[in-house]
Amino acid sequence: MSLPEPIITPAGLEAPFDLSTYYPILIYSVIVIGFSVVTLFGSWLISPGKRTAVKMMPYESGMDPIGDARQRFDVKFYLIAILFLVFDVELLFLYPWAVVAYREGADALWKAEFGRLVFCEILVFFASLAVAYVYAWRKGVFAWR
Amino acid sequence: MDASIATLQSAFRQGAPEAVLILTAFVVFLGGAFRPGKLVWGFVCLLGFVGALLVVLWHPFDLSKCVPTVSVLWTDPLCHYTRIVAIVGGVVLLLASWDELPHTQAADYFACLLILTAGVGLVGAANELVTMFLALELISIPTYVMLYLPRTGRPAQEAAVKYFLLSIFSSALLLFGFSYLYGVTGTTNIAAIHEAFARREVTMLPGLVMAGSLFVVAGLGFRITAVPFHFYAPDVYQGTGNGPAALLAFIPKVAGFVAFIRLLGFTGPGPVLSAIEVGVEMPLLLWILAAITMTIGNVLAVWQDDVKRMLAYSGVAHSGYMLLGLAVNPYLADKANGGVPAILFYLIAYGAMTVGAFAVLQALSTDNRAVSRNDDLAGLAETHPGLAMALALFLFSMIGLPLTAGFAGKFQLFVGVLSTTAPAESQMFRWLALIAAVNAAIGAFYYLRLIGIMYLRTAIRPLPGRAGLTGVLALAACVGFTVWLGVYPAAVVKFTRNAGQAAYPVHHLAGRP
Repeated sequence: MSLPEPIITPAGLEAPFDLSTYYPILIYSVIVIGFSVVTLFGSWLISPGKRTAVKMMPYESGMDPIGDARQRFDVKFYLIAILFLVFDVELLFLYPWAVVAYREGADALWKAEFGRLVFCEILVFFASLAVAYVYAWRKGVFAWR
Repeated sequence: MDASIATLQSAFRQGAPEAVLILTAFVVFLGGAFRPGKLVWGFVCLLGFVGALLVVLWHPFDLSKCVPTVSVLWTDPLCHYTRIVAIVGGVVLLLASWDELPHTQAADYFACLLILTAGVGLVGAANELVTMFLALELISIPTYVMLYLPRTGRPAQEAAVKYFLLSIFSSALLLFGFSYLYGVTGTTNIAAIHEAFARREVTMLPGLVMAGSLFVVAGLGFRITAVPFHFYAPDVYQGTGNGPAALLAFIPKVAGFVAFIRLLGFTGPGPVLSAIEVGVEMPLLLWILAAITMTIGNVLAVWQDDVKRMLAYSGVAHSGYMLLGLAVNPYLADKANGGVPAILFYLIAYGAMTVGAFAVLQALSTDNRAVSRNDDLAGLAETHPGLAMALALFLFSMIGLPLTAGFAGKFQLFVGVLSTTAPAESQMFRWLALIAAVNAAIGAFYYLRLIGIMYLRTAIRPLPGRAGLTGVLALAACVGFTVWLGVYPAAVVKFTRNAGQAAYPVHHLAGRP
């Protein structure tokens, strides 16, 4: 089977679609399925198997799985989790920017045309997070009541 | 290369109106956190809308130097249309929900409204799958907040949670579909995807294309409440306040249909795909979706004894009518009549009459008594003759009687369905026109029933009503649009034709047979 020709679009040359280049997904799924099967089968094979009432219960993050689903949590846990997420995502976004955009061997053309623009974009991103932070502070999220 | 760089650098100038809206939203969010107040932040919000509208009208962006397959945004006439509809709609929704908002939460509500309007504008501008998805999320996420803000009763909570869960589910479907389109064509640029389709490069994997398209239709179907995805609408509209309900009935439909038009390649920078290139499955799928959506929406609306639930199902039916335009568009020889321009016209008409109907309910309700049952409206013609007349006008428009916006809209959609030229398809679409006509008759029944309740029965328990200045203004705007579009539609028809026209002729690609 011969490979299809590359495609010329106004943006430039693009590789044609080829299903065989997706083989890492296949390897990944084989590993995933293999791992779960081996773990389940292995633990069934080598575990001593003393059955008690508590052990036979389905495991649900340490909580009792049987009972009323409407348990009350303090809302402050959620607020802290969301705030953590805000800063976590911020870091996730900044890391590739800081590492890739201004590295030594970066494309000179890219640096000249987009360097400042992208820097301003990051500042806008910071500003919007700062707005969210001040908003959360004014709404009393940081007061641990 | 230079053109590509200039195109990428222009993204910020192209998004200027949305930047104005979002900056205003930041000011309102922060200001409201320091000093709550309805009047001042409502005024700032209005200023933001006016500023964005001025930027849209007086700062058109010149696209002639931009490369479609590189550009992230594409501010063509369709985008122009979407922005104007979103901003005008935002102003009307702001006025309509004014009386309902508590003093302390008004600023948050207004800021969410601003962000959501920016999201609709970006959906109109998006020329990139990622931008499209983010723009749609920019509409959804403030909606969750707005649904939860005004009331804290059990039904409001149920409405908010139901909408939240189903909305993220639909977003996931949409994203999954996008990932297939990306996998098949190797690009996320919508114009480039359409070029790949036009070159028939993707026909070697028809199954993947079909699966991707199906997921996209499902994800957007939730937003336009097409039938298998309509279940949330009645419960959510009933549970929430009138302002958020009007917003949910209007804004996601505008965004959904514009996204459909963009993604199906009916209008945009890429090549316009003919029926064969889209694949015959897509119009057929939309045909079925249109028929089911109209029929189920109308039939279920007949059984409702709650005006808000009835309006929800009627909104489902109106989406079905608009899907007619989507289904028939690839087969139209003259795309100025019917098809996309008709959908764009109908969206304005639908918005005016539906938001107007909710504004009437809002004017009749008080904080202690929410008016939503059919029986509540009994004898309205005696107690509130003006409001009864306005609601009757909106209902006549939903039926599609002449001299109302609904008639002008339905007329254009039906003309489109009946003017297909290919023999096999024209037979198929005549059947669809017949189904639509039967549906219009079913619709007339339940709309007229409500008018009968208002005019022929006597009031059981007279309504107090609290129509303030803002509510009356919103109502007047909706009445104005409904009458204007019905009596003299020419100006708006010209506007929507211009917006819906295909920018490129059908086979513009060089080197094609």
